[in-house]
Amino acid sequence: MSSLGARPALTRLPARAGGAVLIALLGAFILGPLLTLVLWAFTQEWFYPSLLPQSLTLDWWPRVLQGTELGSAVGWSFVFAPTVTLVSAAVCLPAAYAYARFEFPGKRWMMMGLFATNAFPKMGVYIAMAGIMYALHLMGTFAGVVVVQLLNTLVVMTWIPAAAFASVPPSLEEAARDAGAGPIRTFLRITLPLASPGILVALILSFLASLDEAQGTLIVGLPRYVTMPVEMYTLVSNYPGPATAVFAILLTIPSLVLLALVRRHVFSSTLAQGYRLR
Amino acid sequence: MSAADAGGALRVAAGRVRTWSGRPPARALAFLAGMLPVAVAAVFVGLPILLSALYTLGDTGGPNATVAEVAQHQVVAAAGLTLTGYQRLFATPGFGHDLWVTAWITVLSTVILLALAWVLSLYLRFSRGRVRAVVSTLYTVPMFVPVVIASYALVSFWETNGKLAALLHAIGIGDAWLPGFTSGGVVLGLVWTNLPFAVIMIGSGLQAVPDALIEAARDVGARPWRVLLSVLVPLNRLPSIIVLTFTATGSLGSYTVPYLMGPNAPQMLGVAMTSAFQDYQEPQQAESMAMLVFLAAAGLSFLYVRANRRELRRMAGKR
Repeated sequence: MSSLGARPALTRLPARAGGAVLIALLGAFILGPLLTLVLWAFTQEWFYPSLLPQSLTLDWWPRVLQGTELGSAVGWSFVFAPTVTLVSAAVCLPAAYAYARFEFPGKRWMMMGLFATNAFPKMGVYIAMAGIMYALHLMGTFAGVVVVQLLNTLVVMTWIPAAAFASVPPSLEEAARDAGAGPIRTFLRITLPLASPGILVALILSFLASLDEAQGTLIVGLPRYVTMPVEMYTLVSNYPGPATAVFAILLTIPSLVLLALVRRHVFSSTLAQGYRLR
Repeated sequence: MSAADAGGALRVAAGRVRTWSGRPPARALAFLAGMLPVAVAAVFVGLPILLSALYTLGDTGGPNATVAEVAQHQVVAAAGLTLTGYQRLFATPGFGHDLWVTAWITVLSTVILLALAWVLSLYLRFSRGRVRAVVSTLYTVPMFVPVVIASYALVSFWETNGKLAALLHAIGIGDAWLPGFTSGGVVLGLVWTNLPFAVIMIGSGLQAVPDALIEAARDVGARPWRVLLSVLVPLNRLPSIIVLTFTATGSLGSYTVPYLMGPNAPQMLGVAMTSAFQDYQEPQQAESMAMLVFLAAAGLSFLYVRANRRELRRMAGKR
């Protein structure tokens, strides 16, 4: 790595101090609200303008965990997220491979069409969709919720794996074919393993998109299918701060664990490449 | 990631590699596979949007009849289509404010986000050591927090009598401006939630610029600013435009952040359309607002497509 400018050491001192202040501010901006949230989850009393809670307690945790609506919300979230991810993979991965490896009429329009679904405000889509959902008897059903959450995963599940498939050198596939492997064997042994980081990132991001989706699930799923983020909307207005904080932390854990698993791939070129159109 | 990886991936993409795409049956199969997600999007997004576009223009026939049945204050065209619905929407008191606040929040949050992402990416590209490691973890944190949670945490942190106020009080700043439940707070919330995506995009673009290129520029006497403006910025047009399009279109129609963090009035259009639909039973007004946001987003998307075309042409020209 090189440095952008080779300036004399003395003039760099104020710049360094300024940089340290900026980084501290950034840290406060990003972490301040989250640390406060964690403190709230263990708080019994905390009045302004005290910097720390007057008294701490663990009482909120069992209260939130035993609340029956919360338990069922967690349950539904973890039923929908894997279902949606699998359906999304089945619908999108073949398309991703097709976009990466084949030329056919309308290919670019297809990818742009998928992008357009992202550009329309989601709430507008959900309102507009209500008519179709009623007509197909999907309103208030399990399948209806799967469909509404699926829509949020289409772009991620198509674009990122497409970039991953495209970055597998065709010469490797050709070599395997020359050595006598059939197309399916070549795909399973060469292409799929090499593209797997991109596919993994797409799977996890889809899972999280489904886990975090609230607006569409609220409209299509009520009254039966209340997931964690939907419950969160109710909690924010109806429950005391500490209970909401506990629930918020519980709701963050799955994202935390899953993203930590693929951290190396998400924060590298794998994700970035997915957003370049071919 | 190395620069070669990124360049390689793009060259592969630009070169339109064919393996066994020549065979007609394979190509037909690929076409069908490619159509699958598009078909899902067409049925559940495209078709409803088309229908609701007609509905906002006063057509209440066919599939729109269900929605129109319970709708309040809707405009029904006597024959053909009419723009009266939109005229009335623009004449609604407060709507002008909603439109204006949506526009400036989107512009301001996108500009701040781009600037911050560039500064952070430059820092990550050109520095080393422990502080860099801290920053490279720090910027990813918002990605791990669901947006509902983030909005709640942010707004309760900096509301009046919140912990930020307590912190400022402790260091002797009594009555500072606080972003809790203000449009300024919404701007900060959008920056917070979009930061990881922006730094991933611009950062990985900067990492892909070879050291040799920067050193060559410096060897011919380019100052740091010159290197930035003549080498790094032009080479990172595409990632910057990707960030611009995706965050601006996302902010235009955003709901969770302005709903939980913003004031009661004026509201961003995402919030206004939701309350028009849910609280006032005015689906036509809600859909009209969605159409306006969509038109703006379509304009931004055009930028994105054009930037991608240019990049492909540039890569193709290099080969």
